[in-house]
Amino acid sequence: MVKNITIFTSDTCGYCQMVKTYLKAKGIGYKEVNLDHEPERRAEAHKLSGVLTVPVTVVTKTDDSQEVIVGYNLAKLAPAVN
Amino acid sequence: MHDVVMVGAGPAALTAAIYTTREDIDTLLVEKGVVGGLAAVTDVIDNYPGFSKGVHGLELAESLREQAERFGAKIELGEVSGVHDEGELKRLETTSGDILAKAVLITTGCDYKKTGVSGEEEYYARGVHFCATCDGAFYRDKRLVVIGGGNSALQESIFLTRYATHIDLLVRSNIKASDVLQKEIQPYLDNGKITVHLGVTPKEIVGDDNGVTKVIGTSSDGKDIDFNTDGVFIFIGLKPNTAFLKNSKVKLNEQGFVITDNNLETNVKGIFAAGDVRSGATMQIASASGEGATAALKIREYLEGRLHNPKVEQLEVTP
Ligand SMILES: Cc1cc2nc3c(=O)[nH]c(=O)nc-3n(C[C@H](O)[C@H](O)[C@H](O)COP(=O)(O)OP(=O)(O)OC[C@H]3O[C@@H](n4cnc5c(N)ncnc54)[C@H](O)[C@@H]3O)c2cc1C
Repeated sequence: MVKNITIFTSDTCGYCQMVKTYLKAKGIGYKEVNLDHEPERRAEAHKLSGVLTVPVTVVTKTDDSQEVIVGYNLAKLAPAVN
Repeated sequence: MHDVVMVGAGPAALTAAIYTTREDIDTLLVEKGVVGGLAAVTDVIDNYPGFSKGVHGLELAESLREQAERFGAKIELGEVSGVHDEGELKRLETTSGDILAKAVLITTGCDYKKTGVSGEEEYYARGVHFCATCDGAFYRDKRLVVIGGGNSALQESIFLTRYATHIDLLVRSNIKASDVLQKEIQPYLDNGKITVHLGVTPKEIVGDDNGVTKVIGTSSDGKDIDFNTDGVFIFIGLKPNTAFLKNSKVKLNEQGFVITDNNLETNVKGIFAAGDVRSGATMQIASASGEGATAALKIREYLEGRLHNPKVEQLEVTP
């Protein structure tokens, strides 16, 4: 079961928009961290994902385990959030 | 079964879908990446007609999607891996199963070319990038190398100056970008934010556990030059997304672009192509949209049995 979802994004990133559109269409809530507005959180996104790219979607489960999905990757995103 | 299935949902397909759905032609678009295609990952588009102050790529993509969906276009997220001509019907293999269509429009555009140099694969997304609007935000107050000398390389270098302290632009031969972009980049060359290195070919991308540390380039006289950097963005051109047509009967040119006739129809009846993926395309959003509109009208003629029958009366366009 999903407890919460955080998406690291930027103002200009098209793939971030796709992740948000997908979650919205499924009626799933999320928190957004926009790295253009909160640049101090870039290191956090990097540490979680191991890469320097957005979107990074962090799905926290009710047992507090986390699944991190890099990019707009429906094959991983869909099973993680549904 | 659908009247027409469009492979990809960039500007060419979305425009085509606006036309087909307004004609009540049942239309499905299958998109593997971003709806809006490359336009959706471009920062600002200054040359798309109707937007006197320019338009953000994401905004244009979103409006095209809304307009197509308003008339009934369906967009499915998935990848097409094969197109088979079964006479009257075409069968598309996709990640969510086979789809049948009376006509197919190939609008898969292009993807970024890779340099093939050592370090490019290893540091992919850890210092080596192909999308400035996606990954630029990680380079605030950092040094960057951009590789390429065409329109995309210059446009993206200008975009990246909003983050980076300095950009070394490595150009293999000469700058091949439009005059407009060369004028736009001049102030950044004058204030030292961007330094252009002509005649430099990338040889190796070097890094450590934290990511990229330098790019080694070779100058035209064969000397190696080190460019210390925190990241590399590569824009050396585009290659058509046509691998999925490998086992189809659709003819491609030597570079892999889809060959069409004046009706934008391929050598296979009922399979059309439009936009950047088409041999002879001018690689612009306005032209991709224009080709999308043309293809839609030709598909309508095809579905009505008029395209290959010159005796039938001329096409009527719904105003
Ligand atoms: C950095 C950059 C800046 C640019 N700036 C400008 C500009 O300022 N002005 C301008 O006019 N043009 C610009 N262009 C060019 C413009 O983006 C393209 O000409 C335009 O997007 C082409 O539209 P299209 O629909 O043919 O293809 P694309 O936009 O490439 O869309 C093709 C779509 O097909 C999808 N696809 C591919 N293969 C498959 C498959 N097998 N299954 C399902 N889906 C698939 C892709 O994911 C993609 O979304 C720029 C391009 C780049 C790279």
